[in-house]
Amino acid sequence: MRFDWWTFALQTVNVLILLWILSRFLFRPAADIIKARQAEAGKLLSDAAAARESAEAERRKAAAFEQELSARRAEALHTAEQDASARRQALIDAARKEAEQLRLAARVVIAQAREAEAEAADDRASRLAVDIAAKLIDRMPESARVAGFIEGLVEAVAALPLETRVELAAEGAPIPVTAPRALAEIEIGELEAGLRRALGRVVRVQGRIDAGLIAGLEIETAHARVRNSLRADLEAIQNKLLTRDG
Amino acid sequence: MIRSPLMLEPLFHVGTVPVTAPVLVASAIVLSLGAGARLASRRFALRPSRLQATIELFVAAVDEQIKGVMQADPAPYRALIGTIFLFVLAANWTSLIPGVDPPTARLETDAALAFIVVCATIGLGVRARGLRGYLATFAEPSWAMIPLNVVEQITRAFSLVIRLFGNVMSGVFVVGIVLSLAGLLVPIPLMALDLLTGAVQAYIFAVLATVFIGAAVGEGGGQRASTPNGDGNEQH
Amino acid sequence: MNNIEIVSIIAAAFSVGMGAIGPALAEGRAVAAAMDAIARQPEAAGTLSRTLFVGLAMIETTAIYSLVIALLVLFANPFVK
Repeated sequence: MRFDWWTFALQTVNVLILLWILSRFLFRPAADIIKARQAEAGKLLSDAAAARESAEAERRKAAAFEQELSARRAEALHTAEQDASARRQALIDAARKEAEQLRLAARVVIAQAREAEAEAADDRASRLAVDIAAKLIDRMPESARVAGFIEGLVEAVAALPLETRVELAAEGAPIPVTAPRALAEIEIGELEAGLRRALGRVVRVQGRIDAGLIAGLEIETAHARVRNSLRADLEAIQNKLLTRDG
Repeated sequence: MIRSPLMLEPLFHVGTVPVTAPVLVASAIVLSLGAGARLASRRFALRPSRLQATIELFVAAVDEQIKGVMQADPAPYRALIGTIFLFVLAANWTSLIPGVDPPTARLETDAALAFIVVCATIGLGVRARGLRGYLATFAEPSWAMIPLNVVEQITRAFSLVIRLFGNVMSGVFVVGIVLSLAGLLVPIPLMALDLLTGAVQAYIFAVLATVFIGAAVGEGGGQRASTPNGDGNEQH
Repeated sequence: MNNIEIVSIIAAAFSVGMGAIGPALAEGRAVAAAMDAIARQPEAAGTLSRTLFVGLAMIETTAIYSLVIALLVLFANPFVK
C-alpha cells in the first residue's frame, strides 16, 4: 500500500479553496440576507403594531363621538319631551281657565236668573198680599178703612221731629190727607181733632183719594210725609224680606 | 482480479506534481460548487426565490445543528462545518456519474478532510482558551490522563478517516462486485443505499467535526456522545 | 500460491464474518428499540427514524472497520511480496 502525499496535499488545498469560496460567496451572504430579513420582519411587525395602535385610537375616537352623539340625542329628546309637556300643561291651564270663566259666567247668569225669578216671585207675592189684603178689607165695614187709622196717623205726626211739626202747623194751608175713599164728615172731624192735639193748633184737612192705599191714611207735604196705610205696611214687609234674601 | 482500492495511479504530471483522479474530481467539485454559490448569491434578495429559500434553509439547519451541539453562536463555525458537509456530500454522490469514483473513496481525500478538522480543532481551541488553556484540557480530569487524552485525539482523527473511507469505498466496491456478477438493474438498490450512506456519512462527518471543535473550544461543556440527536440535515 | 496468501484469504473472510456478527446484533437491538419507541410515540417517528439512521451508520462503522482490515489483508498485505 502506498499513501500518496501529493494527492493528500492537493486535496487539502482543494478543500481549503472550497472553504474560502463558500464562506465568501455562500454562507456570509446567506447569513446577511437572513439577518436583513429578520430586521425587515421586525420592522414590519412594529409597523403593524403602530398601525393597530392608531386604528385602536381611531376606534376609540369614533366610540367617543358616538357616545357624544347619543348623549346629544338624548338631551334633545329630553328637551322636546319637556317642551311638549310644558305645552300640554299650558293647554290644560288655558282650558281650565276657560272652563273657569265659563263656569263663572254661568254662575253669574244663574244668579241673575235666580234674582229675576226671586223678583218675579216677590212681585207675585206682593200682588198676592195686596189682593189678600184688599179682599180682607172689602169684607170689613167701610169705616174700618179709615177710622182704625186715624189714631195711628195722629201718633205718627206726634212722633215727627219738632221742626217738621212746626212747619206743618205754620203753613196755614190745609193738610193734605190721602185716603182710599172719600172721607166722611165725621172722619174729617176726628182727624182735625186728633191733629190739633198733636200739632198744638187748629188745622184743616183736605181729603184726597188714592185707592192704591187699600186702607189707611197718609199725609204728604213738600217737607213731611207720614205713611200710615196698609200699602205702606206691605211695602215695608216686602223690603224687609228682600233685604233678608239678599 | 479487482483493482486494489488502496492503490492510486497518477493520470498525468504537472511538472513534478503527479495528478490523480480524486484530485481532478475534487477540483471539479470545488469549481462547480463555487460557481453555483457565486451565481446563487448574486441574486440574493429580501424576497427569496426557491433556490435562495433552499440555501437559507440549509444555512439555518447548519446553524441549528451547531447551536445544538456547542450552545454557542454558530457564526464563526458556520462556514467550516457547512463546507465540510457540502464537500463530503458532493464527493459521495459523484459515484452516480459513470466512470467516476468518489474522491472520498480514497484514503488521501479523507485524510485531508480529517487533517483540516484536526487543525481547526487545535487552532480554534487555542484561540478560545489560549495555548496554556488548550493544553490544560489534556490534563482533565487529572494529569494521569494526559497520555490517554493524546491517544484519544489521534485515534478519533483516524477513526474519522477510516469511517468515511470504509463506508464510501465499501459502497463502491460492492457495487463493482455486483456489477461484475449481474450487469443490469441489480446494482440499482445498492446504488440507492450508497446514496443514503453517503448523505448519512456526510452528516456524521460534519457533526463529529462540530463535536470535536466544540469540545476544544469548551463552550459546549465537554465532549458529547457521538450520536447527537436533533434535526439532521441529510438531503435525501 | 504460498501459505501466507492462503492464510491471508482465510483471515480476510474470518475478519468480515466475525466483524459482522457484533454490528448485526447491535443493529437488531437498535431497530427493535426504535420500533418500540415509535409504537409508543408515533408522533415522534420522524426524529426517531433520523436518529436511528445515524446510529445505524455509527454501528455499521465497526463492520466497515473489519472490511477495511480484510481489504488491507488482501490488497496491502505487507508480508506478500
